[in-house]
Amino acid sequence: MDGELSIFIMQILLNFGIYLIVTLSLNLEVGFLGLPQFGRVLTVLMGAIVAGGISGRIIAFYLGFPWGMEYTGYDNYRIVSEISDILANNPLLSLQYLIMTLILAALLGGLIGYLTAYPALRLKEAYLGITLLAFGDIMNTIAWNFEPLAGGTTGVLVPDPFRFLGGYRFVGAVAIILAIAILVYVYVEYLTRSPYGRVLRAVRDSEVAAVVYGKSITSLRRNTLIIGGALAAIGGALWSMYTGSFKAVTYTRLVWTFWPWAFMMLGGTGNNFGVLLGVLIFSIARTFIIVYKGLISTYLMISPEWLEYILVGLVIVLLVLFRPQGIIPEKPLSTLGRKEINRLVEEYLGRTERK
Amino acid sequence: MIESDLIVKALAYASGIGIGAAAITLIYSTTRTFNFAHASMVAWGFYIVFTMTTFFGGSPYYYLPLAGLFSSLLGIILYLAVNRRLLERGASEVTLMMSTLGVDLIFFGFLNVYIDYIARLIAARNIPVNPFFFVLETKDFTIPYLNIRGAGLVGPLILVVGVLFLHLLLTRTKIGIAMRASIENPSLAASLGVNPYIIYLVAWILGGFMAGLSGGFLSLVQTGNNYVGMLLIVSFFAGSIVGGLYSIFGSLLGGLLIGLSEYIGIYLLSIYLGGGILAYRPAIPLAVMVATLLIQPSGLAGVNWQGLYRKLREILR
Repeated sequence: MDGELSIFIMQILLNFGIYLIVTLSLNLEVGFLGLPQFGRVLTVLMGAIVAGGISGRIIAFYLGFPWGMEYTGYDNYRIVSEISDILANNPLLSLQYLIMTLILAALLGGLIGYLTAYPALRLKEAYLGITLLAFGDIMNTIAWNFEPLAGGTTGVLVPDPFRFLGGYRFVGAVAIILAIAILVYVYVEYLTRSPYGRVLRAVRDSEVAAVVYGKSITSLRRNTLIIGGALAAIGGALWSMYTGSFKAVTYTRLVWTFWPWAFMMLGGTGNNFGVLLGVLIFSIARTFIIVYKGLISTYLMISPEWLEYILVGLVIVLLVLFRPQGIIPEKPLSTLGRKEINRLVEEYLGRTERK
Repeated sequence: MIESDLIVKALAYASGIGIGAAAITLIYSTTRTFNFAHASMVAWGFYIVFTMTTFFGGSPYYYLPLAGLFSSLLGIILYLAVNRRLLERGASEVTLMMSTLGVDLIFFGFLNVYIDYIARLIAARNIPVNPFFFVLETKDFTIPYLNIRGAGLVGPLILVVGVLFLHLLLTRTKIGIAMRASIENPSLAASLGVNPYIIYLVAWILGGFMAGLSGGFLSLVQTGNNYVGMLLIVSFFAGSIVGGLYSIFGSLLGGLLIGLSEYIGIYLLSIYLGGGILAYRPAIPLAVMVATLLIQPSGLAGVNWQGLYRKLREILR
């Protein structure tokens, strides 16, 4: 029972970590920039492709394995399991591989974000949302069919950077993912509190007013899309490395675009802590549904998979109808502490009085 | 050089997409709601036709109106339960989109519960069909003399009748004229005594009917599974957007164009680039859509055709 419980908690933490990264990046674009980002899956998929098709190749090349067309072909299983064995005995190399993959994923995810900035500047609302959704689907079709990229329909295995932890592989991987997720959270929180984040809100609330004050909407949108894309790609790369395999068909717009939307809306669009809470609640609920699958289907006569869809849908609808601002609504930010501001005001007043 | 079989199938498919794309445009132009629930409404159309033909026999064509009516009902539920409240509140387009996405997930969940249920029934009765992957093409009739499949003729026929019906409705009836008025200028129409909520309801009923109809009809063209709505939805979106999102007839044309480009365009490409390209078929409508939007951000209907014509004449002169 004790072991079961800890696995249960670990599963929750794993889902929480991955989806926190992806949902925070979504919140940055939707909540702060006001962009209808219906193509989150695009950059998540890019990150996963980096882990499956690019950084795996680099490590194969480094270790002297075939890394060209053979890498994604029939020999993929043999090559990757041999690489994983080498990585298992070499913690330093494993960490290097992990960090290199994340950096590459962030770079390429950022590049994709940069490319999507072009339509994002020209199109409005529904048109833009559907265009971004289309980009995600096109990418998925390419990854699914273009075998040399990342295995196509058969997929590829991803070298395992966590295996050097031995018996603690599961716990260690979850801990690393969680640590990265917390780093991302701190970064996004810092970013949105900074002057940059406040300009984003200004643009979202009144584009005209922001332009009047000399803010460049073009560069703001572009930069935010780059940052958001890079963060989401890190999430995708981590997930792909954790599961140890990549298959394009699992990166659907439902799981990596619409679910993060639901998480974000539950917690509170435009509020990072709210997003964290929303992701946590959904992770717990989803893990419960997965664990108590059998029990649910015997009582309800409904397959738990479909129950999950109905519940997520219901949550979205109820939220939109009754609490569009989410659990924790967005709050105005005071950048300095209240005391600090008072002290500065008094100091200023004192100085003017003396004059 | 293209086989007649392919043309027939492409025509049938394109007609189905055209009807569905028009449904999205109809709902969007009246209620500002980009309907994601369209996916499940189409999928329900597939499964209504499938269930009826499996259990009651007969040609799938008999059950097309029923499929339409059922999705109409789904549209009414969606409107009364969710969309109406949001429209009263004056919600943003993105909020409206998200709400239909939530409804889509609910409809999708119930569709799958229903599929599991009929799968049990089918297993109990030993009927040799697979509800998770079915083909109704074989139940289609063949047109005598021409020797082509019925869907190739019935599809364009439905499209033409649909266009005529919509045209008559929008130009000859009171409700249709009121509808056009509130599409053009909602606040002015309301101040002249048009009740917008009745217009919205009519839009959802008609849009739902067209979604169900297109789903039911497409079940004769391609294999059905529980994810069929999610697969097809991008083609519907693409058709609607290429058509311009505000013109119902434009979206019918846009859907037709997307459907034809999926079948015939990929076939022509495969002649030049080899068979490997066939797998990329799902990307074709999306690529056409993205290209259209980036060149002409408001779709085909936004093109100034008269101006173009005048320019062309000047050049030729």
